[in-house]
Amino acid sequence: MNEIIGIIIAAVISWLNFVLIDTWMGLPEAPGVKGAEVIGRGIQKRGGDLAGGFFQGNIVCSPDASAGTLLAAIGCFAIGIPEGGFVAAILVFFGNRICADPGYAGTTGALTITVIIAATSYIGLTPEMFIAGMMIAILTIQGLHHPSSSKLLGKIAKKMGRYTEIK
Amino acid sequence: MIMEIVGIIILFAAVRMLLAQDRTERMVYLNVIGFGMSALIALYIQTSFGAIIAITYFVMSTLSSNAIAYSIGRVKDEIILDE
Repeated sequence: MNEIIGIIIAAVISWLNFVLIDTWMGLPEAPGVKGAEVIGRGIQKRGGDLAGGFFQGNIVCSPDASAGTLLAAIGCFAIGIPEGGFVAAILVFFGNRICADPGYAGTTGALTITVIIAATSYIGLTPEMFIAGMMIAILTIQGLHHPSSSKLLGKIAKKMGRYTEIK
Repeated sequence: MIMEIVGIIILFAAVRMLLAQDRTERMVYLNVIGFGMSALIALYIQTSFGAIIAITYFVMSTLSSNAIAYSIGRVKDEIILDE
């Protein structure tokens, strides 16, 4: 498959994988770790949405499904499909516990993307494409414009019934 | 090709981080650089141990981000008594 098309498809799959799993696991509802609240309030102060801010703060402060997606892709690239994904999932699980994060979003995200990478390897998508795709996906959330990306994440959280009740 | 894309994203995030005014905003851009650096480590050291290094690097970078963000919050609440 053409590399550019592969990277774009991988970016869309990674974006959906981590946003849906993180929202489903309740990242926008409450700051799972202490630092996430500070970053969420900072984004709210700059004109963003609080639930989306908590989501972004949780990504920064603890390995969540976004980290799981990237690290499982790295594991599949350097160790092999699918055993590298399982190694990444175990290390992300330890990382969550070190950060005192009670959730399982990172481990779940790593396992689902491992299954997706294994399945899409038959149509020609390689783990490298998922590494680049995940970088593009994280850039759209964390690197372009925080107030608008937090509003988008807040809308998705409202649709999935996971909007924060904290004022 | 893949390394170039990751490198451009890291440079972009670094420039955005330098231009950012708010300290919490900088932490979010720093997180993008953390993602990119761990991807570059794995793409450059193409061995099993390279993957372990990349994963450990990323997990530890989030741990330190958590500590820094928490202390930024604490510093904001701090009351200086000798003024």
